[in-house]
Amino acid sequence: MSFLQQSLLWGLFAASIPIIIHLLNRRRHRTVKWAAMEFLLKATRESRGKKKLKYLVILACRTLAIAAVIFAIARPLVGGFLGWGGTRIDTVILVLDRSASMEQQASYGSGGNRESKRQSAIASVRKSLEKLNNPRLILIDSATGTPQDVPSPDALEELSATSATDTSASIPSLISNAIDYVVENSPGRTEIWVASDLQESDWAPEQGRWEAIRTGLIDLPQKTTLRVLSLASPAQNNTAIRVLSSRRSGDELVLDLELTRTDHEGPSAVPITYSLNGARSSNKVTINGQSYQFQKRLPLGNRESVGHGFVSIPSDTNPRDNVSFFAYGEDAPTTTYLVTEGGEAPTWLTLASAPPGFGRSRCIELAPNNAHKIEWPGAALVIWQAPLPQGTVAQELARYIEAGGAAIMLPPRGESETTFLGLNWGEQTISPRDQYFIINEWDQADGPLRNGAEGTAIPVPKLKAIKRRQIIGEATTLASWDDAQPFLVRRIIGDGTAIFAATLPDYTWSNLGDADVLLPVVQRMIAVGDARFGSAFAAISGSSQAKTAAGEVRTRLDSHATSTTSNAAYEAGVWKLGDRLLATNRPQSEDQWQILTKNRLGALLEGTPYKLFEDQGQSDSLTQEVWRAFLIAMLVFLTTEAILCLQPKVGNSKS
Amino acid sequence: MKYDFLDPQALARLGAIPLEARHAMTGNVTGRHRSPHRGSSVEFAEYRKYVQGDDTRRLDWKAYARSDRYYIKEFEADTNLRAYFVLDASGSMGFSAADDARIQFARKLAATLAYLIVDQGDAAGLSVCQEKIHLEIPPTRRAAHLNHIFEVLSKTEPSGETGLVEALHTIAEKVGQRALVIILSDLFCDTNALADALQHLRYRKHDIAVFHMLDQQEIDFDFERPHRFVDMEDKTSVVAEPILIAEDYRKAMQEFMHTVQTKCHDVHADYHLITTNQDYEEIIHNFLTTRLPKKGKK
Repeated sequence: MSFLQQSLLWGLFAASIPIIIHLLNRRRHRTVKWAAMEFLLKATRESRGKKKLKYLVILACRTLAIAAVIFAIARPLVGGFLGWGGTRIDTVILVLDRSASMEQQASYGSGGNRESKRQSAIASVRKSLEKLNNPRLILIDSATGTPQDVPSPDALEELSATSATDTSASIPSLISNAIDYVVENSPGRTEIWVASDLQESDWAPEQGRWEAIRTGLIDLPQKTTLRVLSLASPAQNNTAIRVLSSRRSGDELVLDLELTRTDHEGPSAVPITYSLNGARSSNKVTINGQSYQFQKRLPLGNRESVGHGFVSIPSDTNPRDNVSFFAYGEDAPTTTYLVTEGGEAPTWLTLASAPPGFGRSRCIELAPNNAHKIEWPGAALVIWQAPLPQGTVAQELARYIEAGGAAIMLPPRGESETTFLGLNWGEQTISPRDQYFIINEWDQADGPLRNGAEGTAIPVPKLKAIKRRQIIGEATTLASWDDAQPFLVRRIIGDGTAIFAATLPDYTWSNLGDADVLLPVVQRMIAVGDARFGSAFAAISGSSQAKTAAGEVRTRLDSHATSTTSNAAYEAGVWKLGDRLLATNRPQSEDQWQILTKNRLGALLEGTPYKLFEDQGQSDSLTQEVWRAFLIAMLVFLTTEAILCLQPKVGNSKS
Repeated sequence: MKYDFLDPQALARLGAIPLEARHAMTGNVTGRHRSPHRGSSVEFAEYRKYVQGDDTRRLDWKAYARSDRYYIKEFEADTNLRAYFVLDASGSMGFSAADDARIQFARKLAATLAYLIVDQGDAAGLSVCQEKIHLEIPPTRRAAHLNHIFEVLSKTEPSGETGLVEALHTIAEKVGQRALVIILSDLFCDTNALADALQHLRYRKHDIAVFHMLDQQEIDFDFERPHRFVDMEDKTSVVAEPILIAEDYRKAMQEFMHTVQTKCHDVHADYHLITTNQDYEEIIHNFLTTRLPKKGKK
């Protein structure tokens, strides 16, 4: 609880007046001569205990009544957000979650219109700041992540830095920024207010940096309270649409689409509008379940090699996930570098990485001693079928993987003493005569051997090996031979992935070259490595790719909406950035509605001075003046005092 | 008038109402009150059979003619009344809140009633009691005797502890003939001992009248602030908060009044609870009128 007129709390000393009067009265008694002393003494003996307690209660009521009046005129504020102890604050650092999920409309605003969680949070913060006599406000929004001084809370709703975006939010980064700001600027008595919908993907509870955040908050020179304004009310009646991929196929544009909805009670038909190069069409898709993936082919009548468009569904409780943009054109080729000792394996590996007919894929074969020729920045995949690298090449390969690259490590034919990423090759083993090493079990949910989107399993059991090599070291096993030895293991380093396979696509080793297993593994690894480039035509809103490079001018091409210049980099749309054509969309994580539970939040911020306020949308302010409650309390105390003071009616004793 | 507790006008108004005894009295001379003995008044009492030694002059010859038996016709004897005023002069009788002190009120009652009694030819006496009987004036019918009573009343000042119970026992023992004993007191004493004393008086066939004199403040106990209460008899004191004890005090006082009233009724005493803020003339008027015989009965 805090008070707007805190100085008036000195008046609480007035609550001692009844006690003082009581004590003075006891001292300043009058003396009377009394005849009926016998009854007086008898009454005095009998009136201890209950009567004394009653009198003490009366005295307490008087004291509390005065205290209640003082509290009332000091204008107390409550509302879990500020809570007890929220006294004078010099600076408030507002960490505002502007992610797409914050556009979920949760409550009705003052005008009767539905307002988004973001708008609700801003309005609440603004009113709370007004009640705190407008301390200095520093805004750290999730899109830019940089602190900026806000001259007045009234300006909050008008700032482009508080407007809606199609980005995600990295709450740990934002809190770290806030802590850094406090450390660098020493802004006096400071509170960090985090307004967020507690979307789990934004809070990233699995990140190791939370430990640093906890330490940072505790170690701040002055006690800084972290107050979390939770707008975690569950999304309702919301349907989202997303373009998973778009590609040309002859004279058609093939769109892989996904519909997701919060309510999944029975089937419902969702009208979808397709806009391709300005031409619109629509149809209805029936969704039965929580999500539905489907494909849509749009004819490219004008045969233009470059184009763009969007798919949209009718507006619902979150307008930000009702549209998804796409653009297409001639993609840059994906490059696979194959470092090989030669033999039969390179043939199959080349075929798997650059299948005939896939014009945008190419495979460059290099001998181990030419590995330094690999152009790491442009590599989608590195296949290493040779003794494990060492020296500079090993360092570069590791850096490449850390930066988001993908690598497949295949066993060398000869000896390999080197260790790479904590793994190395063990001895070769050959299966007994007329027997094969076969795959006993593999991870069908994750990794390159996972099932297809339709649930079809990869025919891994078809793989038969007569020769294999042991993989030594700690790594995640994705597939195992029937004798529990690993066939495929994975190491995730930084943003990238390296897998080690225990046999070769060589007839003297196995039938891996039959493509049943090799092709999906290689193509999926290419997709992993290629993801760091993104598509040439698709990007995540707010990512570095979606920002203008030096000399580039941003122009919005789609007709779905218009954008302000300052906020355009964080909004979804189809853009012309210099010579680039780019469709930006909200990140996929924004369509995941998992909410961070109170317990997990408590675990994340354990030991820090944090307070959680759950805004259920009923209140237009984080704080409420509760002087009425104190006046009512005063009335209750006075009424109680009056009732207790009422003497029992004495009957007329006169005869 | 010489004495401030006497009001001639009130005496004139009250003089029209006689003071009647509720029981038979045994006086020295003929008076207006019923005697337990048979006498020569005109009031027929009863017939009784003639026994040897009766005066034949009192035989009812008409009854003999009717019944052929000898009957003696007896008549009531009328005698005078002797009233003893027992005035409690303990320290508590000096209590005064806003009105007259209790002792002054008692003086008015005693003096007025004594005047009326003597005026109607009866005898009035006075006992002033403190820890023991302090002063006793035997009852006489002489008007000059009144002056002596008034003089003692005017000089009596309340002090010390009460000796009422002992005084009543003394009167019961000393006064052999039936008399009217009028008690003027706050009765702040042991109620059981008081009941015994009243019983003693009643046993001696005295007619008892009790004026239980209290102050309204003693009953209401309407103090607000804490007070130091000093006992008027033994001077002990206690500081008390009225808000804490008022309820219990009132309860105890009501219990006391009820007990006293019950004890008085048990001995057929003429009990009157009076407060000092009442009009004493009205109190005497009520006292006298309630003692008048019922219609058709002497």
